Amino acid sequence: MKGGIHLKPALLMVGLYIFFKFGMPLFTAPLPASLIMLYLMLTFSGIMIFMTLSGTSMESFLGPIFRFISGDGQDGTMKMARLAVLALFPLLVGWQTYTSTASSTAPPAENRTVHPAPPGEFAAMSNPVPNTPENVMQGKGLYAAYCSPCHGLFDGKGPASRGFNPPPANFKDPTTIAMLQESYLFWRIKKGGVGLSVEGMPWKSAMPRWEFELKDEQIWKIIMGEYDGAGQKPRTWE
Amino acid sequence: MKAANQRLEWKWGILAGTAMAAILWGVGPAWAQESVSIRAMLTTSVPADDPTASAWNSVAASQFPMSPQVHWPTRIQEVTVKDVRVRGLHDGKQVAILLEYDDPTQDPDDAAAIEFMVGDKKAHFAHGQPMGQVEGGPVNIWFWKNKDAKALDMNAKGFGTLKVQDQQDLKGKGVYQDGKWKVVFSRAVTTGDANDTQFKPGEFINIAFAVWDGQKDPASGDLKEKGSQKAVSSWWYFRVDPQPDYTSYFYALLAIGLAAGFEFVIIRKLRKGPSA
Ligand code: HEC
Ligand code: HEM
Repeated sequence: MKGGIHLKPALLMVGLYIFFKFGMPLFTAPLPASLIMLYLMLTFSGIMIFMTLSGTSMESFLGPIFRFISGDGQDGTMKMARLAVLALFPLLVGWQTYTSTASSTAPPAENRTVHPAPPGEFAAMSNPVPNTPENVMQGKGLYAAYCSPCHGLFDGKGPASRGFNPPPANFKDPTTIAMLQESYLFWRIKKGGVGLSVEGMPWKSAMPRWEFELKDEQIWKIIMGEYDGAGQKPRTWE
Repeated sequence: MKAANQRLEWKWGILAGTAMAAILWGVGPAWAQESVSIRAMLTTSVPADDPTASAWNSVAASQFPMSPQVHWPTRIQEVTVKDVRVRGLHDGKQVAILLEYDDPTQDPDDAAAIEFMVGDKKAHFAHGQPMGQVEGGPVNIWFWKNKDAKALDMNAKGFGTLKVQDQQDLKGKGVYQDGKWKVVFSRAVTTGDANDTQFKPGEFINIAFAVWDGQKDPASGDLKEKGSQKAVSSWWYFRVDPQPDYTSYFYALLAIGLAAGFEFVIIRKLRKGPSA
């Protein structure tokens, strides 16, 4: 089946495109369009070099393309398809040029680091408060009083959460406290949003600096209550 | 033989077309996000002190959710205003921002404010309060109060530092109608005052909002919302739109010409065959 010679590279390009555009953002930040373009160009050159290595493969790969473009002996729908491709190409190039040079009306994309490294003095701490049912319960009580207006029932959807960007953390989400150590939470709760390093964009965070209102011991209890209420376990280094 | 060949080339045409379209579409602009920003649109006359001017209907509103202020004592757990709708207009010299929100009662102590950063340093949205690892700057607060029938130009750098500027550059006017406040704030796009935020056309800066419902508690006669007890937002984006720029249309036309020329040359070359 001769059609495969073009089908496979084309499917490869489309597949890679879908992967970069929609697949990658599931794991990382969305790739910039220019980067996707670069990857596809590299793939395209790779395919071209591979397909044109020998004279015969070159002829079977490029021949049909050249005949399609030159319009040799075409008629009917074939002719229409060729004309459509020939007309579409300059228009797409024009559109692309327009969108990449026109000034954007969207605000700049910001890549906030959600979990920047804590200052050294917090890194090696461990929870000094024993994990007893009573302490956990006290922690949950403090959580209800101080944290639930924003963090809600551990889901980040408290009655005071809606005006804040970034939104209050959702502790049930596996990418928040489940992948953090207790010492990290202690830092975040004690120093609040304003305690973040510059990559964390402290000027945007509504997370209060609790050291003004809560004692260290209360914070440690809240941490236990928070993990228990959210059904998560702190990360430890085995 | 010929027919088979043609079917094959057909396939190639479709594939080439879709691949090309997919690639070019993907490189196109990212989808604009909803209401993370407001743009002050360019106009010829700015309704600088008229919240009900028909010119406001010509621009779409951005809506921003508000929270009761629970970040810092003294807190409040419930507030009247849940959202503000915001519009902007400018003519290159004056810029006006219209806040609109639902409030079932008109009270003398009803008030609303807009906040910006001043200068190059980032400022925390809660009055530019000090940050631990980052040196912050001050904020410029525009504060309108119903009973004063004007807006004050203010600065803060941390709680308890809020003060009225010596140089007042603002106008503010509110109109209460059908259970809604419409409050317009206006100012020159740039002022000579280093305490003011300065707008550079085309550049997004941060903006935040605060609203106080001046209703009194029927039992105690005290204001429910005052000072730190109010509806607040954190930072969103604002910009004064730039003058229209037609150069990208010119670049696009040039690109179309080049692409068509490229096709022409290729086809000629192919038709003449390898000998040419
Ligand atoms: C005014 C709203 C507000 C209140 C009240 C509040 N938080 Fe937060 N919190 C936030 C916001 C917004 C974030 C996300 C931004 C950030 O990380 O700073 C956050 C983030 C956090 C994080 C970081 C999670 C992560 O994955 O990095 C922890 C832990 C946390 N809050 C714990 C608490 C605890 C415990 C309390 C109560 C003592 C509390 N918060 C009260 C708004 C709030
Ligand atoms: C979580 C965020 C905020 C907190 C914790 C907060 C806290 C406070 C506090 C403690 C006061 C008392 C006066 C002072 O300390 O200087 C106050 C007053 C005031 N705040 Fe805020 N604020 C916040 C957000 C905002 C925002 C976003 C604006 C403007 C858009 C604003 C505008 C004002 C004004 C104008 C006053 C004076 C009110 C009056 O005199 O009646 N605040 N706020």
